[in-house]
Amino acid sequence: MKRIWSWGAIVFGGLYFLLPLIGTVEFSLRMRRGEYSLDAYRSVLADPQFRATFSYSVVMALLTIVLGVLIVVPTAYWVRLRLPRLRPVIEFITLLPLVIPAIVVVFGYIRLYNTSSILPLTGTASGTNLLLLCGYATLALPYMYRAVDTGLSTLDVRSLTEAAQSLGAGWTRIIGSLILPNVLGAVMSGAFLSFAIVIGEFTMAALLNRPAFGPYMQLLGANRAYEPAALAVIAFAATWGCMGVMQLISRLAGVRKTAK
Amino acid sequence: MSFLNLDHLQKSFGSTKVVHDFNLNVEKGEFVSFLGPSGCGKTTVLRMVAGFEEPSVGRILIDGQDVTRLRPNQRQIGMVFQAYALFPNLTVADNVGFGLKVAGVPRAERAGRVTEMLELIGLPEMGARFPWQLSGGQQQRVALARALAPRPRVLLLDEPLSALDAKIRVSLRNQIREIQQQLGITTIFVTHDQEEALSISDRIVVMHKGIADQTGTPRQIYNQPATDFVAGFVGTLNRFDAEVLDAPTGRLRVAGTEFALGRAVPSAVSLAARPEGLSLADDGIPAEVTGVEFLGSVQRLRMRVAGREIVLDRFNAPSAALPEPGEAVHISTQGSSWLVLPHGA
Repeated sequence: MKRIWSWGAIVFGGLYFLLPLIGTVEFSLRMRRGEYSLDAYRSVLADPQFRATFSYSVVMALLTIVLGVLIVVPTAYWVRLRLPRLRPVIEFITLLPLVIPAIVVVFGYIRLYNTSSILPLTGTASGTNLLLLCGYATLALPYMYRAVDTGLSTLDVRSLTEAAQSLGAGWTRIIGSLILPNVLGAVMSGAFLSFAIVIGEFTMAALLNRPAFGPYMQLLGANRAYEPAALAVIAFAATWGCMGVMQLISRLAGVRKTAK
Repeated sequence: MSFLNLDHLQKSFGSTKVVHDFNLNVEKGEFVSFLGPSGCGKTTVLRMVAGFEEPSVGRILIDGQDVTRLRPNQRQIGMVFQAYALFPNLTVADNVGFGLKVAGVPRAERAGRVTEMLELIGLPEMGARFPWQLSGGQQQRVALARALAPRPRVLLLDEPLSALDAKIRVSLRNQIREIQQQLGITTIFVTHDQEEALSISDRIVVMHKGIADQTGTPRQIYNQPATDFVAGFVGTLNRFDAEVLDAPTGRLRVAGTEFALGRAVPSAVSLAARPEGLSLADDGIPAEVTGVEFLGSVQRLRMRVAGREIVLDRFNAPSAALPEPGEAVHISTQGSSWLVLPHGA
């Protein structure tokens, strides 16, 4: 009897996630009247804008992950090691991007860094890219911090640090060759989430007027019928593909099982 | 000038003073244990030597060099932790070689030293394993090898045996002592286990409430405890209510029996004796047997003397009969080894 219920739950959950996907796939194949075809896909893939915006977003996502790791790993480590009482405060700060809408953040950026400010980042394309990168890192912060902090909780951070110090190691070596490799699994799960967020992000990229994938999807969705569905399917597959590659690289880089 | 000098160390955390004026000189190659209950400040002193805590007052000198303000990674000190603290992402060999790698020792030389260290701890085949594939005792040996590999000036052991089970604890402590003597490395060992401290130390510092109560060889600590606390903490101690009749000759009255120790005592004392320092006789202090435990090599008699519980240990002798509970016996006044402790110390 119990088994029936658990199977029921699995089927329900599966339908909940799969039905919309199946619907999208089905719709994307109906561009040619009366028969299934890949016309919509051909049309999307032929668009140079698609390739440009998608690769722009992939690069931005990877940079976001790097920036996020550089900010979050040392911070979470230091908080656990030296400022355990500040942990709730830091956790609260990292959760702010979930509460404050991206549009507020980006308006703040534009006000602070506009061309008549002291630091006119929005005046150049590279400056705006940098600003967008910082915005993305902020958006990814809650996920990244949580993942890394959970990873750190499985380590005896203090003893490991002291052991390394007594062996002559400095901070860079401790974080780079001991802490980071030991939380790499957690970092990767934070990285996947960051990647997924950045690929589809619309608000920041649109308001900073950068050629990202999110605004492109929106543009296409507003003007075409079948292509947006095909695009969604492609984006879905590509995102999963990228994550698979990241997973593979991290495996090859030597993430070891920390079996207890 | 001794090798390691701890000079008037004090440490406060906020308004709580955990170490009061701690002084110790350790000779080169000496094995010194800090023994005391938890919260006595022994670990804090060790951590100050390692550089993880900065003394509020005082100086630490190693081989004449003042290291008080040096960071832990500049002190050339090896440390072994209770929790092993092996690096989980590195193999055993990489763990042992970590300190050498940090010091920039070339790869070939490093590999040679790692092999040497793994042989020293008796795990020459384990280099390629990861820490989680080893037992607790093996992990702690690897931690010892890792601490020793860069040839530290001082070795610090912070309760290294506490997380292990009893049998391994004894064999590992003997191994630690052997390796320490073989390398002649100056060592400080922190423990709350008196048997550990007594069995492997050249000298023991018994600590209590942030003060070194007594510093001495294991025999001195056990046989001539300087304070009431040391006497009670190290080994089992029987206490007797004694009335001083004549201080210069050491004439006392215990449970109605008068006898002389033959040495001068203070005007008020507390009289004590180890379980194995007591013996039975035909006359002496009257006692009532309350329980008998036969432990194989040892017979343990529980007795009551003037309302106090007393334990007497004697070697098993197949011919000697065991007293029965309830039997009246006498504790010898002359054949027993009495400890005279300053009253209320």
